[in-house]
Amino acid sequence: MAKINPEFLDELKKYGGNDFSACYNCGNCTAICSLSTEDNSFPRMMVRASVVGLEEKVTSSLDPWLCYYCGDCSLYCPRGANPGELMMALRRWLTAKYDWTGLSGLLYKYLPATILAFVLTALAVIGLAIKLNFEMETIMHYGHLFEMFAILGVFMVILTPNLIRMWYLVIFKPKRNIPIAVYFKGIGELFIHMFTQKRTLGCSNSQTRWFEHLILVFGYLTLLFTTVVLDWFGTENFFIIALGYIESAVVFIVTAHFMYSRVNKDKELNKHSQPSDWLFVIWLFLMGFTAFVVRLFIDFDLLAANFWLYLLHITILVQWAVLIVPFGKWTHFLYRSFAMYFSSIIQLSQETKGK
Amino acid sequence: MPETTVIKKQYDALVIGGGIAGGEAALNLANMGFSVVLVEKDLSLGGKMIHLSKVFPTLDCAACITTPKVSETARHPNIKIYTYSEVKNIKKQSDKLFTATVFKKPRYVNEDICTGCEDCENACPVIVEDQYQHDLVGRKAVYIPFSIANPRVANIDMDNCILCGACEKACLAEAIDFTQVIQEIPIEFKAVIVATGYDMFDPKKLPNYGFEQNKNVVTAIQMERQLVPTRPFNSVLRPKDGKMPNNIAYVLCAGSRDETVGNPICSQICCMYSIKQAQLIMGALPMADVTIYYLHIRAFGKGFNEFYQQARSMGVDFVKGKVAKITEKENGNLIVRFEDVYKGKVKEAEHDLVVLSTGILANKGIVELFPGLNLETDPFNYVKQVKELENPSQTSIPGVFVAGTASGPMDIPDSILSAGAASSETASYIRRLS
Repeated sequence: MAKINPEFLDELKKYGGNDFSACYNCGNCTAICSLSTEDNSFPRMMVRASVVGLEEKVTSSLDPWLCYYCGDCSLYCPRGANPGELMMALRRWLTAKYDWTGLSGLLYKYLPATILAFVLTALAVIGLAIKLNFEMETIMHYGHLFEMFAILGVFMVILTPNLIRMWYLVIFKPKRNIPIAVYFKGIGELFIHMFTQKRTLGCSNSQTRWFEHLILVFGYLTLLFTTVVLDWFGTENFFIIALGYIESAVVFIVTAHFMYSRVNKDKELNKHSQPSDWLFVIWLFLMGFTAFVVRLFIDFDLLAANFWLYLLHITILVQWAVLIVPFGKWTHFLYRSFAMYFSSIIQLSQETKGK
Repeated sequence: MPETTVIKKQYDALVIGGGIAGGEAALNLANMGFSVVLVEKDLSLGGKMIHLSKVFPTLDCAACITTPKVSETARHPNIKIYTYSEVKNIKKQSDKLFTATVFKKPRYVNEDICTGCEDCENACPVIVEDQYQHDLVGRKAVYIPFSIANPRVANIDMDNCILCGACEKACLAEAIDFTQVIQEIPIEFKAVIVATGYDMFDPKKLPNYGFEQNKNVVTAIQMERQLVPTRPFNSVLRPKDGKMPNNIAYVLCAGSRDETVGNPICSQICCMYSIKQAQLIMGALPMADVTIYYLHIRAFGKGFNEFYQQARSMGVDFVKGKVAKITEKENGNLIVRFEDVYKGKVKEAEHDLVVLSTGILANKGIVELFPGLNLETDPFNYVKQVKELENPSQTSIPGVFVAGTASGPMDIPDSILSAGAASSETASYIRRLS
């Protein structure tokens, strides 16, 4: 028997979905969606489930992750119910649902909590710098160490358990019995989608968006690798230095364009930005930009005189690594890829059962 | 200088619009003994109804109801009719009297002596799209609007006329008169009935349906013309290649209940006329499949639900889901993409003819006929009924009444009822003046 949560609608409104209760179930959104197929028809079912409070249906669904927000559903919705924005809100809500710490939900729902968290992390960094008497070498050494441990820690403590929770909610709890062999059979999908985001190409008029997003992901991941493993700030290798410049430039140029789009609201997906969207894109921009300038100052021997710049960079980095990556929008990188993976193994197991 | 005195013609009531509502209201008033002036902007009386095939839910012949009414109106001694005319500058002279000017546009044909013999039509070398057949076929630049037009006299379409004079030579009655100009006729009257009707929604505003690009996507009114006794092809044919369709789809709520096109309200007639046409198609093309894609079937009137059930039992396929996209295949067939809402699945279906059940919109511009007076409209530009329950025909101007679809979407029986209400309210208003 289906369980109804009468507060579900109000809860979702805190995550950014506002107009969806206007829906009159015509199915125009599902039919106009270029990603929607006969086997995976969305978003109307999600709108319906959200309106009537079928929380479990949403929790066990992968539909929100299969949507790449081209915005056609909202553009052509005869009721102005904005299904695209609801799917975005559901992604935020699911991110909070998967997160075992509960911090995601807190940060999404309450802006003051987000601001407080950002201020506290900044104070912690500055406090540590004071304790270390602003010694550049030591702080940069700790900064580099932090990068390594933060990545490891966030993955082990937050993201991996959250992915297991996602698997539990989507596959285990709804009793979708999937043979172990199928998990291995479908693993390719996970990496294909993680590193190509090729599904975006199925959206209408999405080539530019896909390309920008792709080079941003590559720029970001390789920048991470260059700074953490290749020690970009400490290296003398010309090739690595140049690589880092290119990568950080890609990151801040693409994010600058994203910010410009959000300000101008030129596309349907840019019309309803929430604080979490702004934080994500601004912090990514700042990370790329400050990293670029820090390395520039190192090359021109200006960093010692302008040490505040490194402090600013490391503060942004800490906020990014301990707030946005584990609890914010960054996680969509993982959840989307895993959703594609789960979706394909569900389909594979159904096909094998069919045989 | 000799003083020119303009003799203003006096009437009890002005009726704007000669459709079924305006005609009914004028006839009622005239039968009560009031003098009426009826102004119709089109070439013929009868409005939209005279072009329809059958009416729902009784399947009575629309023309058989309209034409006798139109003739009665046209021949009534108490009714003065101006067709192809527009009334402007309706002003209040006093609490008891309105004045206005009728602008009678030139037909370039003398109405009084034209016999409607069609000799001019046969002589005319110019062929253009026939608006009365909704562009399905052509007509000449000089033409009788349609076979059951009233008055049944010719008209020269000056936008397309090449002034060759062939019609003038062919006309035995010598009715062609290229010297006609707009006539201005001042009138006086005590009350007004606004029966200006509605406008059809323009399907080009729905880009995903590709009306015009997809040749076999037609509007319901085009389909209606193919089902009337005076139909152009004497059969139902699809426009692109003249093939007889055997798998027809109806797309409901095309331009109604849709905020993206600025018309969020229900047009109230599309469900029923589509169900009616589906039944007529089953008669005209017995082998054809008819599918109706609907959001909700609104069969709220007397006998409507039974009519809907009848269509279902005749084999019309009703599918719940709004059609989102129509794409044309190379052979002219159309792929319709929709979500089957009961199954929750996106589907695509192929049809060889798609009919858009287009909605109706308010006939804008009525407000400008009353300069200095404030004729209020509702948020959807229909004339506001200020006392919808006590005096449903009353508008914001004392002495101005509204009838039919000028006040909102409604079907034919409701329009006639509304016209009845408007005429009796007008009669009692005029009586109270004296």
